[in-house]
Amino acid sequence: MLDLAIKNIMRNRTRTTLTVLGILIGIGAVVALGSIAEGLNVSITNSLQLTAGKITVRNKDAGIFGLGTELTKDDLDIINTVSGIKDVVPISVKTGPMSGFTGPEYLIIGMEPDKLQYFVGENTKMYQGRTLETGDSDVAIIGKPLADKYNLQVGDTWTVENDDFQIVGIVEKTDISEIDSAVIVPLDNLQAIMNKDTYYAIYVVPDDVRDTEKVAAAINDASDNLNALTAADTARQASQIVDQIRFFTFGIGAIAAFVGGLGVMNTMIMAVMERRKEIGVMKAIGATNSMILRQILTESAMISVIGGVGGILIGIGAAIGLGALSGGTIQGYVTPTLALEGLAFALFLGLIGGFYPARQAARLDPVEALRYE
Amino acid sequence: MIFMKGKTEPKHEDGYLIETKGIKKCYGEEGKCEITVLQDINIHVERRSFVSIMGPSGSGKTTLLDILGCLLKPTEGKVFIDGKNVIGLDDDDLALLRREKIGFVFQQYNLIQSFTALENVEMPMRIAGKPKWEAEDKAKRLLKLVGLEDRMTHKPSELSGGQQQRVAIARSLINNPQIILGDEPTGNLDTKTGQMILNLLKKLNAEEGYTIIVVTHDSRVAQYSDKIINLLDGQVLNETYLGGSREHEAKVSRVSRKPALVQKGGD
Repeated sequence: MLDLAIKNIMRNRTRTTLTVLGILIGIGAVVALGSIAEGLNVSITNSLQLTAGKITVRNKDAGIFGLGTELTKDDLDIINTVSGIKDVVPISVKTGPMSGFTGPEYLIIGMEPDKLQYFVGENTKMYQGRTLETGDSDVAIIGKPLADKYNLQVGDTWTVENDDFQIVGIVEKTDISEIDSAVIVPLDNLQAIMNKDTYYAIYVVPDDVRDTEKVAAAINDASDNLNALTAADTARQASQIVDQIRFFTFGIGAIAAFVGGLGVMNTMIMAVMERRKEIGVMKAIGATNSMILRQILTESAMISVIGGVGGILIGIGAAIGLGALSGGTIQGYVTPTLALEGLAFALFLGLIGGFYPARQAARLDPVEALRYE
Repeated sequence: MIFMKGKTEPKHEDGYLIETKGIKKCYGEEGKCEITVLQDINIHVERRSFVSIMGPSGSGKTTLLDILGCLLKPTEGKVFIDGKNVIGLDDDDLALLRREKIGFVFQQYNLIQSFTALENVEMPMRIAGKPKWEAEDKAKRLLKLVGLEDRMTHKPSELSGGQQQRVAIARSLINNPQIILGDEPTGNLDTKTGQMILNLLKKLNAEEGYTIIVVTHDSRVAQYSDKIINLLDGQVLNETYLGGSREHEAKVSRVSRKPALVQKGGD
């Protein structure tokens, strides 16, 4: 009797709308936050492609975005003494201006031009122009999203402090944020601008990819200063962090949704009280207890599923909106699983919230209910 | 009273439609009998008869009607409906019994306010699991029967008391019950409208063969009744038979008084 359920929940439109809104906000939060956690996961997974098969060496005391202690030439020399190494790629990083809470708008990465080859994979293609070449100076290549954002083309100039770099190439969008929002310039140039000869990190390319772990261990043994991580280590750490973020975001969303569920319970308790006499009539004319139970559960499930569907749409909207606001730094990924989870969670809340009032209704004594004024 | 002397329980279509034996109803904490509402009620209702239950307030009329309508279980005693003892049936069986055999008409009409007259009449049939179109079809015919064909899409608040009660009567008929129970059906109506409702009930009884049991204060009901059961302080004070040997007549004419006007799909 779905038509009856629809009629019943439409009786008090304001109350139903508010209840739907409660679920909608809760499920919206679950989906939006969940999609950001998903997006982060995808983003980290993409980034890991860059360092796959390589070892990332940083100072033990290093922080993020160039904060903290950097690596020195001595560190580079120590790394070079370790056997099984094909090449080392020291890089310098200068962060662009911060945009809101989402991190820097771009990164200026200094790298020896001939070493760029190690980071060019199947995901990185030139959109326009050329890549860096040995002997290049005062030139830059930038990511396509960054070029679009600042409306730049090959031949234009990118200025870092007072130095101008001529843009010689634009890298096709990769979904790897380190490349999409990167300005890559020759290492010497960037070090000169920053007036230092230290490195943000040194990437180590092993002779044999299978020896990655061994080489990393050897680097860690070679100096107390160094912290060598393989892509697998990074992945492990990252997935731990992502799991924590997932747990945290789901927790926040779940609390919001749970409050929405309480709203459903409240609404249905009110509805059952108001319709007490009517439930008595229904029983008198032959409705069984389980029919009444089902009727009330159908109504509460309907309210929460409407809220759930709305919440998924709002959540998707919020994820897209946040992505746009952050200029692509935060990318929401709404997977079908996430949407289904949101819907299932909404239905679950509806049934849990509806169960108590439904049982109350089913247990109503028809004689008492009929004569209730 | 011949039927009651038999040792075997009355059989279907053979005995009384409703019969009670030694009904007692009392209320109290933890099953204790602190307030006795009904005591030693032994009554019977003939098929296709019109019975009034009368008595002062607090005499137990409504409680008795609730028991006859299987809404309330007596503390002691047996209730036979169509020869079957309903004591011991669970809630679901009782609901099914009410759905199939009993129609209710209340003093307060008890229509669902947000539903139209048509939807109210459909309700018992929808509860019985019949499809919407079938219920709608039959509800329309019944509303026509009670003279409300031009009020079908009106909500109860848009109908007069008499019209609402006619909707309630149509609702009570839709599942082809054998019994219609009225709890003060004219109690909220003016004299003229009350008369009209009584005429309608009498017509359903005389022409369609429905068994009608009405709890009432309304002395006019007497002129429609075959039997009046007078209650006082929870006991039967007396039973008055009207219209001569009605019981005999009822038995004799049982076969000839088949329902005709209202199509009884379930029969």
